[in-house]
Amino acid sequence: MRRRAAAPLGLGLEGREDPALSGDGRYLASVVERGGRRTVLLQERLSGRVVPLRLRGQQPHSSPSLSWNGRYLAVLVQQGAKRLAVVEDRATGNRLPLMLPGDLEPERLSLSPDGRRIALQLLDQGRMRVEVFDLGGLLEPDLAPAQPVQGGGPP
Amino acid sequence: MAQGRSLLLSGSLVLLLGGCGFGTLQPLRGLNDQLQRAGTGQSPSLAMGWLALISGQSGREQVLLVELGRSMPVPLPGLNRPDAQPLGVSVDGRGERLALVRQLEGRTELVLYNRRTQSLQPLPIKPDGVPRQVNISADGRILAVQVSRGGLWQVDLLALP
Repeated sequence: MRRRAAAPLGLGLEGREDPALSGDGRYLASVVERGGRRTVLLQERLSGRVVPLRLRGQQPHSSPSLSWNGRYLAVLVQQGAKRLAVVEDRATGNRLPLMLPGDLEPERLSLSPDGRRIALQLLDQGRMRVEVFDLGGLLEPDLAPAQPVQGGGPP
Repeated sequence: MAQGRSLLLSGSLVLLLGGCGFGTLQPLRGLNDQLQRAGTGQSPSLAMGWLALISGQSGREQVLLVELGRSMPVPLPGLNRPDAQPLGVSVDGRGERLALVRQLEGRTELVLYNRRTQSLQPLPIKPDGVPRQVNISADGRILAVQVSRGGLWQVDLLALP
C-alpha cells in the first residue's frame, strides 16, 4: 500500500481538514485556514495544482463532497446566521443553494458520485439524523466512463 | 420602450437564475422513514446505490450500509463491535469497501472492511497520528484521511491495493 501526504499548498505549515476525493480520485477537496477563515480548496491530487472555484465568501466552509469527475462540488457554507448546502457546477460556473424545509440546518453532507442524490446530516431538536434528497431534476448526471445513462428511451 | 425594458428585465432574471439558482430538495421519503426508525444518524457517505452512515439508539452506535434500491440495511459481519465507537465512515462506489475510523480500547484506529470477503484490515497511520474524517474515492482506489499530528490536522492519502 502506497501512502503519501496530500500535495503541499506552498503556504508553509497549515492545517487541512475534511478531505473529499472525486470518484475517479483525480481531485482532492479539503478545508484550510485562509486569513483566519475556513475555506474549501480544490486541488489536482497528483500535481497539487489548485483549481479555481467561484465559491467566495460565505465562510466558514465545511464538509466538501465531489462527484465522479469532480464536476460538482457540494459544500456547507455560512449565509448570514444560517448554514446552507451549496453545489458548485464547475462546468457551467453555476452555484446552486439547496433549500431545506423548515428551520433545519445541515451539519455534514455527502454527494452521490453521479450527482443525483445528496445525503445531509441534520440537527433537529438536539438529535442528529441523516436524510437523503433527490437532485435528479436539478443537476445533470456526472457519470463514470462507460456508466450507462438511465432514461432517454428504450435500449 | 416599455417592451424593451421588460425584455431587459426578463433577460436579467434568466441570467440571475442561471448563475445562482435555488434548488428545493425533494426527500426520498421511504428511505428517510427507514433511517429515522434506525435511530440517530451521522457521518453519511453516499455511493451509487448505497448509503453508509453511523446510526444508533441509546448511545450504542454502529455502521449501517443501506441498499438504496430496497431502503434496507445489509449485513456487515465482523465490522461492528459492541465495545467500539465508530467516528467516521466512507463507502466506495460499489458498496464493497468501507473505510472506518473508530475508537477501540482507548485508541483511535483506521480500518478497511471488504464486504465481499467479510474481512477487516487495520490501516496503520504513519508517521503516528490520530485519524478522524475519512473518505474513499468511488472507484475504491484512493483513501484520504484527516490525521492529527503534533496539534496540526493533516491529510494523508493512501493508494489501496
